[in-house]
Amino acid sequence: MHGIFYDPIHDEIVVPVALGGAVLTLPGDAAGDAPPKRTLQGPKTGIVQPDTVYVDLVHDELIVESGDDSVLVFPRTAQGDVAPSRRIGGPNSEVSDIYGLAADAKRDCLVVANRVRNGVRASDDAILVFNRTDNGDPKPRNKIAGPHTGIIKIRQVDVDEERGLIFATIKNNFENYNVADPHPSPWDPDRTGFIGVWSIDDNGDVPPRGVIKGPATGLVWPAGVAFNPKNHEIYAIDSVSNALFMFKMPEFFLKAPGSPSPGR
Amino acid sequence: MRRVAITAAAMVVLGLARSRTPSDGALCPTPRLSSPINEARLLALERENGCLDDGQDQPPASWPPGWKSATMSGGDVPPVRVVSDPYPTLHSVVVDAERDRVVFSDPNRHALWTYDRLAESKTRREVEPLGGIRGPATGMMFIAAVTLDREKKEIYTVDNDIGDRLMVFPYDADGNVKPKRVLDVPHQAWGISISDERNEFAVTVEAPREIVIYRKGAEGHEAPLRTIRGPKTHLGDPHGVFFDGVNNELVVTNHGNQGGRAPAPGDAPARQRGSRVAEPQPIEGGKFEEPSITVYPGDAKGDAAPLRRIQGDKTGLNWPMAIDVDRGRNEIAVANDGDSSIRIFRRTDTGNVAPVRVIHGPRTLINGPMGVAYDLKNGEIWVANYGDHTALVFPIAANGNVAPKRILRNAPQGAPTVGFGNPGAVAYDSKRDEILVPN
Repeated sequence: MHGIFYDPIHDEIVVPVALGGAVLTLPGDAAGDAPPKRTLQGPKTGIVQPDTVYVDLVHDELIVESGDDSVLVFPRTAQGDVAPSRRIGGPNSEVSDIYGLAADAKRDCLVVANRVRNGVRASDDAILVFNRTDNGDPKPRNKIAGPHTGIIKIRQVDVDEERGLIFATIKNNFENYNVADPHPSPWDPDRTGFIGVWSIDDNGDVPPRGVIKGPATGLVWPAGVAFNPKNHEIYAIDSVSNALFMFKMPEFFLKAPGSPSPGR
Repeated sequence: MRRVAITAAAMVVLGLARSRTPSDGALCPTPRLSSPINEARLLALERENGCLDDGQDQPPASWPPGWKSATMSGGDVPPVRVVSDPYPTLHSVVVDAERDRVVFSDPNRHALWTYDRLAESKTRREVEPLGGIRGPATGMMFIAAVTLDREKKEIYTVDNDIGDRLMVFPYDADGNVKPKRVLDVPHQAWGISISDERNEFAVTVEAPREIVIYRKGAEGHEAPLRTIRGPKTHLGDPHGVFFDGVNNELVVTNHGNQGGRAPAPGDAPARQRGSRVAEPQPIEGGKFEEPSITVYPGDAKGDAAPLRRIQGDKTGLNWPMAIDVDRGRNEIAVANDGDSSIRIFRRTDTGNVAPVRVIHGPRTLINGPMGVAYDLKNGEIWVANYGDHTALVFPIAANGNVAPKRILRNAPQGAPTVGFGNPGAVAYDSKRDEILVPN
C-alpha cells in the first residue's frame, strides 16, 4: 500500500489496495486481522491498481487514484461495485501517474501529485491543482512544475487548508544503478529527497516556500508526509531508510512559510 | 484472505536534540525551539540562521536552480524524533547444509546475512553473523527472497520494490561489495528458486501475476526464457516459489489478490520498469480470491493451467509466503504469515485439503514468518520470523504447539521490530495522537 487517509470526523482509516484493485475503509481503532467496514471494488468503479486516496470531509467525497492515469471521485460511503461520480483524466488534464492526492475544500480544489515517466532527470513531474468539481479532461487550474521547483519523483501530498499550503514529498532521484561503475549506488547522495511546501495558489516553475532537506534531516527518499498543526510537527516516512522522521517546524505553521513577514 | 498492514508508530523511539549545524551549505538549520513561540522570535531565529536572503548560507551546487536566491523556511533540520529499527529483519532463509551456513535476506537494512548453521542464542543476546553484504555498492533495495546456487557457491536475492534487480554474490562476499551479476527483472518480484536439473531459475512477480523463468547465469537486460501468466494460471499475487527439477514442477504460493485489469495472456513480454502494465487489458475489477498453492509443469509457458491447486478453507492458508519442498518425504512446507504457522502439505495434494501437519502455537515462538527452508541433511526446518528478531529451528517432523530446537536472535531478546517495509505514505490520527504508516 502506498497511501492512507485518517478521517477524524468518522474515525475511519481509508487505504488503497493496489494488488487487489480496491479501497478499504476500516474503523479508526482497527488492529490485527480486522475486517473492513466498506470495500470499494469492481469493474464499474474503474479502480485498477490504486496507490493513493484522500477524503474531502467537507463535501463528503472519497478521492481515489485509479491506477489507470485518472482521478476518481465517489461519495465517501460508496461501497461495492459502483461507478464514480466524477473522473478527471485525459491529455488536457496531464494526469498520468498519480502518487498523491489531497483536497482543499476551503479553496474548492483537488491537488494531484503527478508523475511523468520520461526516464531522464529533466522531470515533468508536477503538482496539478484542479477545481473540485472538474470532470472529464479539464486543464489544471494551476501547475507547479519545472527545474526551480526541484520536483523529481513526487510522492504523497497533504494540504493544510487553514494556511493554504501543500506539503509534498519529493524523492529527487531516479533509481540509477550501474554495476559497471567503480562505486555504484542506487541513489545519488548529493540529490537526496526533501519535503517541499508550496502555497496552493502557487503556479509555474517556482521554488518551494519551505523545505526540509539536507544531511541533518536523515531523509533519503521520503515517500510520505503528514502534519500535526497542533504541535507544529511534520511527519515524513522514508522508503530507503525504513524510518519515520518527526520534525518540529513552527515556522511552517505560525506564518506563511518562506516569508520574512506575514504574507509573501 | 486479505489483511491490511498498518503500523501505528510509537511516538518516541529515538529523541534527537535539535541543534544548530555548522554552516556547511545547509539552508536554514533551526535551533531548539521552546514553546510557545511568537512570530518575532521566529523572525529572529531565521535571521540568526541566515534564512532571510542575507547570503550567509549558500545551498549546495546540486540544489535546484533558483533556490539560492529564494526565501525559504526550514532547511537542513534534524528530526526531533525518529522511529526506526536499527537491527536487521529476517525475511527469507536458505540453508547450505554441506557448508554449515544459513543465509537470510534483510529488507530493513537492505542486506544479506550469513550465519553458522549451528549458531544459537542461549542467552538474551544476539548472535554475530559470519558476514554481511550491505551498502550502496550492492545495489540491494527492498529485497525479498534469497536462494543459493550451491554448485557455484552463489547467493541470489531480488528487489521487490524500489529497485528492479536480481543480484548474485559469491559466497565469500562481505561488506559493501558489487554483485557478481545483476539481472533486470520485472517490478514487484518476490520469490526465487533455482533448478539445477534444468539449469534455470524462476522468479515470481506480484502485480502482473506471473512467473518468469531465466537461464542460470542470466545477467544485464537478458530476457526471460518464458513467462507463465494469464487467467488460466490462477496465479494471484504470487510470492514463494520452488522449482522442483526432480519432478519437473514449479510450486507457487499465491495471496489471492487479483488486480483490476485482466492479466496479460500468454507469453507476452514481462512488465518492465517504467510501465504500469505490459499492455492495457480489459478492466475486470479487483478481486480478493482465496490464497492457494499452485503447481505447474516445469516447462510451462504462457497461459498454462496448474497441474494441481491447493485452495479452500480447510487449507488454513493465509498470506502464504515462502515455500520449500522435501522431495524425499514428498512434503511442502509453507510459511503462513497470516496466522504465524508453518503448514505442511503432501506434495501431490490438490483441492481443499487440510495440511498433514501444522507447527503453530505460543510454544513455537513463530511470529509472522516470511521464510521457511528445509535442511534435509540434518532433518530440520528453519523458520525466519519477520514479526520479531529471531529465526527458529524445528525437527523436520515437528507438529503442533512445540518449542523450537534452537533460536537464533539477531537482536537482543525483546527488541521490537518496527515493521516498516518500504513504507510509502503516512497519516496522522488526531483522535489518538498516533501516526499511521502503511507498508
